[in-house]
Amino acid sequence: MGIGVMMKLFGSVLLMTGTSGYGFWKAACYKRRISLLEQLRQMVFLLKGQVLYANATLEEAFEAVGKRTEGQLSRLFLYVAERIKKQQGEVFFTIWKEAVAELLADSELKAEDRQQLTAMGEHLGFLDKDMQERNLLLYLEQLDLGIRELQSHRQERCRLYTSLGVMAGMFLAILLC
Amino acid sequence: MGCKEDVLQIFPKDIRFILGQVSVDFGQVQEIRLRVQGPLLMICQNQEFYVTSEGTLSTQARDAYEVSARELKETLEYMGRYSLYAFEEEMKQGFLTIPGGHRVGLAGRTICDEKGIRSMKYISSINVRLAHQIRGCADPVLPWMYERGEICHTLILSPPRCGKTTLLRDLVRQISDGGREHPGMNVGVVDERSEIAACYQGVPQNDLGIRTDVLDCCPKARGIWMLIRTMSPQVIAVDEIGSREEMEALEYVMNCGCRIIATIHGSSIEDVQKKPALARLVAERWFGRYLILKPQKKVGGRIGIYDGQGVKLCETGGG
Repeated sequence: MGIGVMMKLFGSVLLMTGTSGYGFWKAACYKRRISLLEQLRQMVFLLKGQVLYANATLEEAFEAVGKRTEGQLSRLFLYVAERIKKQQGEVFFTIWKEAVAELLADSELKAEDRQQLTAMGEHLGFLDKDMQERNLLLYLEQLDLGIRELQSHRQERCRLYTSLGVMAGMFLAILLC
Repeated sequence: MGCKEDVLQIFPKDIRFILGQVSVDFGQVQEIRLRVQGPLLMICQNQEFYVTSEGTLSTQARDAYEVSARELKETLEYMGRYSLYAFEEEMKQGFLTIPGGHRVGLAGRTICDEKGIRSMKYISSINVRLAHQIRGCADPVLPWMYERGEICHTLILSPPRCGKTTLLRDLVRQISDGGREHPGMNVGVVDERSEIAACYQGVPQNDLGIRTDVLDCCPKARGIWMLIRTMSPQVIAVDEIGSREEMEALEYVMNCGCRIIATIHGSSIEDVQKKPALARLVAERWFGRYLILKPQKKVGGRIGIYDGQGVKLCETGGG
């Protein structure tokens, strides 16, 4: 076997590993997105409890919920609480919008998820408790729909990503050899 | 955080900047008033000043900075920490308490339903009343509050802005800590408007002494019952009593061996006798001491001390 064939074989193995890895990574991202949305749903439930039953201000509610959880979303909540505490003369929606854009830009959440989350902050703190409850319930409903939709396609999507990765690698290897 | 920072952070950027430039010691400021399309006013040592856009104080109305409707709206949002829903009960009563125990009075259009005032909108006036803890302002009064080694039931009277709450706060601190002549006592404070202890997230911002238990944001009558049943206080302190329900609670306290120190608006014992809910307690001489504060530049400056029969025992300061 000549060195050329050896090189081709080696290249094909590398190519297949790369594309398969990409496929597995995409599948993992999909799963991570679902788990982030599920965590978000739980956190919004806790936020609702803080606002409605503990009569907490947004600062207290975000801080309390942020401390009870971990990860990117926890950092988002704690950051918002900190910005409210500093009171630098900004409206709440500006704080919220900037926080979501800054802290979740590199998360697995898609642009549409971030957009929905940003929209939730638009009416937060406005008017009375009924308004807070309706606003949070509306977002929870949107979240539920989104999670259900993603979960219903979870198996096929993950299988699709992984097998497409492997197949694409094989196809390219054959083509290049 | 200092008094100045506590207060400034409730204002929008422009007003915050202007007030930040004012060279007056915020320890001397009593009120900051904002009215829609009206002048920005500051009251220091019972004197009113217009605040100019350069951050100086003037006595000329034409120099004053004019407050806009937007600024008033933003102020409301900041003082409620973007959570006005959490202050519904306070808003119904026309005030909010901000960190530091400063009380912000509101006036605007009320929204009523069959139960009474539901909320307020189109806020057109905001009055920030700065709370000050003045340690030692109760020194001249305290020795007169004891009779045969026991604290007397005491009613503190004064018109608004004379320092009733400040005096009550220092009395609570000193009675709770105790001193050479009198041991410390367990004091229960029902702080309905968060003015006495100025609790922020449950932690009192003012020093009320080491033996003081605070029921924060609790209606006074209900709070008095709760304290008696759960905290076994020797003294109970409440600010601005007035309703019949509160009087019933006070009577209960007086009948169970506990001492009461309360404040009320008025300028003489006769004023108090005219209040229907309180007249009987005064007539039956339940109170052993009346402390009557006179309008003065300094809190605790001039206080008339009277016994239960209305006989003047002493007048502190000022002469």
